[in-house]
Formats: sequence, structure tokens, C-alpha cells
Amino acid sequence: MIIQPESLYGRLVTWPKVVAQPVKNCEILPTFKGNTCQRCGCRNLERLPRQQFYCRQCLALGRVSSLDHFLTLPEPNHFNQKHMLTWTGTLTPQQNEVSQVLVQKLKQQQNHLVWAVTGAGKTEMLFPLLHTALNAHLRIGIVSPRVDVIVELAPRLEQAFSKSDMVVLHGQQPLPYRYTQLVLATTHQLLRFYRAFDLLIIDEVDSFPFAGDRMLAYAVEQASKIDRTQIYLTATPTPQLQRQVKRKKLSVSYLPLRFHQHLLPQITVRYVGDWRKKKRQPTVPPTLHQQLSRYYQSGQRFLLFVPKIKDLAPLLDIIRQHWPDMLGESVYAGDPKRQEKVQMMRDKRIQYLITTTILERGVTLPGIDVLILGADDPIFSENALVQIAGRVGRSHERPSGLVCAYVTYKTQALRLAQRQIKKMNQLGNVLRQNNDE
Amino acid sequence: MMNKCLLCQESILTKSDVLDILGIRTTQPAVCAQCLTQFETIGERICFGCGRLSHDDTLCQDCQRWQSNGKQLLEHRALYRYNATMKDYMQRYKFSGDYALREVFRSVLLQHLKNYSDYIKVPIPISDQTWLTRGFNQVTGLLEGCQYQELLSVRAHQKAHQSQLNRQKRMTRKQPFELIDGTINLQGKSILLIDDIYTTGNTMYYAADLLYSVGAQAVRSVSLAR
Repeated sequence: MIIQPESLYGRLVTWPKVVAQPVKNCEILPTFKGNTCQRCGCRNLERLPRQQFYCRQCLALGRVSSLDHFLTLPEPNHFNQKHMLTWTGTLTPQQNEVSQVLVQKLKQQQNHLVWAVTGAGKTEMLFPLLHTALNAHLRIGIVSPRVDVIVELAPRLEQAFSKSDMVVLHGQQPLPYRYTQLVLATTHQLLRFYRAFDLLIIDEVDSFPFAGDRMLAYAVEQASKIDRTQIYLTATPTPQLQRQVKRKKLSVSYLPLRFHQHLLPQITVRYVGDWRKKKRQPTVPPTLHQQLSRYYQSGQRFLLFVPKIKDLAPLLDIIRQHWPDMLGESVYAGDPKRQEKVQMMRDKRIQYLITTTILERGVTLPGIDVLILGADDPIFSENALVQIAGRVGRSHERPSGLVCAYVTYKTQALRLAQRQIKKMNQLGNVLRQNNDE
Repeated sequence: MMNKCLLCQESILTKSDVLDILGIRTTQPAVCAQCLTQFETIGERICFGCGRLSHDDTLCQDCQRWQSNGKQLLEHRALYRYNATMKDYMQRYKFSGDYALREVFRSVLLQHLKNYSDYIKVPIPISDQTWLTRGFNQVTGLLEGCQYQELLSVRAHQKAHQSQLNRQKRMTRKQPFELIDGTINLQGKSILLIDDIYTTGNTMYYAADLLYSVGAQAVRSVSLAR
């Protein structure tokens, strides 16, 4: 196998001990220290015959065993390209303020949290930061736990920096790895990097599976250089992040207003009885039925969130039977046509999607309403509900809309979600008044 | 009782019984029923010579050719068809090297081997190079908890993996094995060769040749997939 030195810059490449190194003078690192896998930091060892062993935790990225070692070369920042920001939009005053703070943090090599409401325009806010970092020859990673977020982000960045080279890395990516200054990837892919990034931006830092996953937290540390800046982006920080902010261990920028300066839509609650008949087949309760007829008449597009995959098909059947000429589909994480159906919704070829929580974040469908059937199910956490509500009102043309939760009883998560939205809106209101003066 | 399916990571729910209550259950299902049904067994109607699916009771063409080349048929039996799911399994077990996945078929295979109680079980070996990279023999992994004898080894000049060769190259390959102990005498013994996959039969017949040459009376074979 031929390996270019470039492909070892800031990477961890697993290599059998018995095979000669493909690159002269590369650094060799052990795969295990004691029982700890040096790629993922876990101790999920599985034995092999003859006193050998391997790590089962990070197996999906290729096996790391005691028969291997890692090859790497220190990141040399060999980037000479001149970068241009080809984005032509403008930032709102609040976005601009945050983006200036980010540039400051980069110079000070400090970590920073951006707590921005859904639809605040986080991506655009990053552009000045990215532009500065690119021209300072820094290596940049933009990562998210969610592959959808990365897939949606990639074309926007390619447009904003149309002269700059970048790779997009995730599990379904057929293209091989290439050495580039700008890397877009899922957080899992960071396991393959070693002290590579001067600037690492983690989008949707609170989302599954990142939050509370020790392996991925380890990956973030391993992939960052010792002297670096990490930027965390989220609309709904985890309690851990909030605690760090409270203890002044992490600086924070708030952005309580959306890019169009309107407030977040509040969640309306409608009480329904036991909508799962005898706890099994889901039904459409009367209040939801009324709402759906209204949508049928008005043609308003909407998402219907449900707690479980098995709720999807029966509900789709009922709705299709009642309103055969209202077009819609259902999606879930493992749906092979997932991307296709979301695209149909984006192209306005269908009026509604019935979905599980996979569409809770990362998707922008301008002008929709959101209904949540069974919002009292434990799967709808406080943050999930805030994110779901954040799908609504994401365009200038329709900056607000309906977010309606259909529940048998009101859960603590629902109460907290409403409180969080209210608090952000209070902050936003203050900001709006300041703007007016 | 709860444990996770080795293939899909979903929890396997099994009813608790008296063994669990006493804490003396020794076997846990390694895979969930959902995953297990994806593997297809070969069925009853098979070619007598190589165990492949057959629609009549005659020998398949390949076996007729073995016979006309003067070979004693192996009466091979395979447990499963080499369908997409099995291919995927082999990819994960052998080539990704997830040794833990041996548990998926271990007990099924051991059960099947009870039909061959009088036979000396001989696994097909892997090369030294594979020992140093993959780190395990995929066949002996499946045989854990069963008596077997490693009589064969791969000759030193073997470089390419079987799976990297096409059919033509496989058929023209020279004897890939040698006996670990050159002086062994198998006079009057029955041998059962065991491999993970039977494709052309070439590997098995080479191994059988070697064993017959040191006096084996009968050589039969079994594989997980066909």
C-alpha cells in the first residue's frame, strides 16, 4: 500500500506491527496503554487468541488491536492558499457582535460557547471567524454529532468559501480522506485525527450521541492541538455546559433573537385522551383531526412528530384515508429513502411529513407548522421540544407559526421547554427594545 | 434477563426461568431472533457431494468433475447459504476482525458437529502472516469448546488470500497446505475438515489429498456457509 506523508498529518493510521512503515520518519504511537485504547479512550477490550486483544468500542472505524500500532506525523499547517469569503449576505448587529467575539477567542486560544436560539443564523456568524483562521493558515474542523447537520452545512460552506478546498467525512461518505485545511465531519470521525486542529467548531454540541458520550469527548480532545480554540454551538446547552458557564469556566455569547428579529413561537398544549387505543394502535384524536382539516383546507405545510417508529405507518394510513389528496410521507432514522423524502418536503412536493425525533434539528423547512402527538412521551425531552419548536418560523415571509403539543398530561419536560422559550423571548424582547432606541 | 445482540446491538429480551433465578444459566442467546432469521439454512434437498442446494438427487457438475478426477467425494455439509447477510457477517467477523462475533454461530456449529462424533476434527489453517495481522483463525474461533486437532499449516510461499483470487486462479493453485507433523500416521482414521466457507471446494480437496496421503481412511467436510 502506498501512503503519502500528507495523509498522516494530524491523523492516526492503524498499521500492523509486522508490516514495514510506508513513510520514513513517521511517528509511531502505541495502540494501547494498559487496558485503554489510545484511539477512543475506552476499555472495552475483547480478547484474541495468543494473548492479543482489540478494542470493540471503536471497531466501526476499523479495528485497533495489540497487533497494530499507530502511524502519525505532526500537523505542519502546510497551507499557502489565499482564502476569499464569497458570501454576499450581511450579519445583523447581534450576529456581528458575536462573530467579533469569536475572532477574539481565536486569538486568545480560548474555548467559547455560542448559545443561540434556533434559526439565529449560527452558520453565517462563523464566516468571519473561518475567514480569519483560514488566512492564518490554521487547520479547521467543523463537526457535529449528526450527519444530517454536516450534510446540510457542506454546500453552504462551499458556497461561502468557493475558492477553498474542503473534505466532508462521515460514515456514508464514499470518497476517501484527503489532506485539506478545512474538514467537515461527524464527531465520530475525530477519532481518526491526532492533534490536528487549531480551531474546532462543534455544532449541535448537546445532541445525541455526543452528549454524555465519553468516547466522543475524548475524540474531541485528541483531535485538537494542545494550543487551540474550541467553539461550541447550540440552542439548548446541556446542564453540564450550563454549569461550566455558571462557574465561569467557559465564556458564552447569547443570541436570543432569530435572524429576522422575531421571537420564538411558544408551544401550545392541547389535552387529548388516550390516543393509543388500548395502548396499541395510534388514533387521531378529535382536536388533532380538526387541526388537520384546517391544514387540508389551507394547504399549510406541517410536520407531525410522533414518539415511536411504529406509530408512523398507522397514522399515515389514517390521514391518507381521510384526506387522500393531501400528500405526505413518513420518515425515521433507518428509512432508506430518508434524504429523498426530506428533499420532497423541501421542494414543496408534499404537504406534510410524519416523523420521529430525527427531524428535531438540523433541517430548515421554511414556513411550516409543527404538531407533536404524544409530546408527553419521555423521548421528548426539554431540549428536544425546544428544538422541535425551533423548526417553525424560519423565514422572513413567515417568521412565526403554530407549535402544538397533543398530550394526555403535561410533563415536566414540556413545562421546562415552555419556560426556556419564554426566557429566551424575554431576553430577545430586551434586545429588540434596545435596537429600537 | 437482558443482553445485547452481537449483530444489531438491540436488547434481547428473554423470559426469565428457574435457571436465571438460581443464577445458573450458562447459555445466553448471542443474537436476536430478528437477526437470526436473516440467515438462510440450505434446506433438505442438497447435492450429496458438496451440500449445495439442488433440485434433483443427482450429483452437481462440480462434484461429477471431482469424481472423474479420481477424488473421493467429501460429502460436504454446510449450515447456511452464503447470502448477503452471511457475506456481511463474514466481512465483519473475518475482515474487520471482530472476533467476538464467533459466538453468533458457535453453538449451532457445535450442535451440528455432534453428528460426527467418531471423526477427528481438523480446522483449515490460516497463514502466519494472517496470524500477525488478523490475529485469529476464524475457524478455530467457531470451534471453541470442541475437541479438534490442528494437523495442517499453510505453506510458507502462500501469499495471496483465497478471497482475493478469482475462480480460475483458485482452481490452478498448487497445494497450499502441509502437515504440521510430517511423521503423523492417520491409518484407519476418519477426519472431518472444517472451514468457514466452501466455494469451489478446492481448498478442502487439497487438504483431503494431504490427509489421505498419510493414511486417512475417510475425509469428510463441514462449513458454516456454502
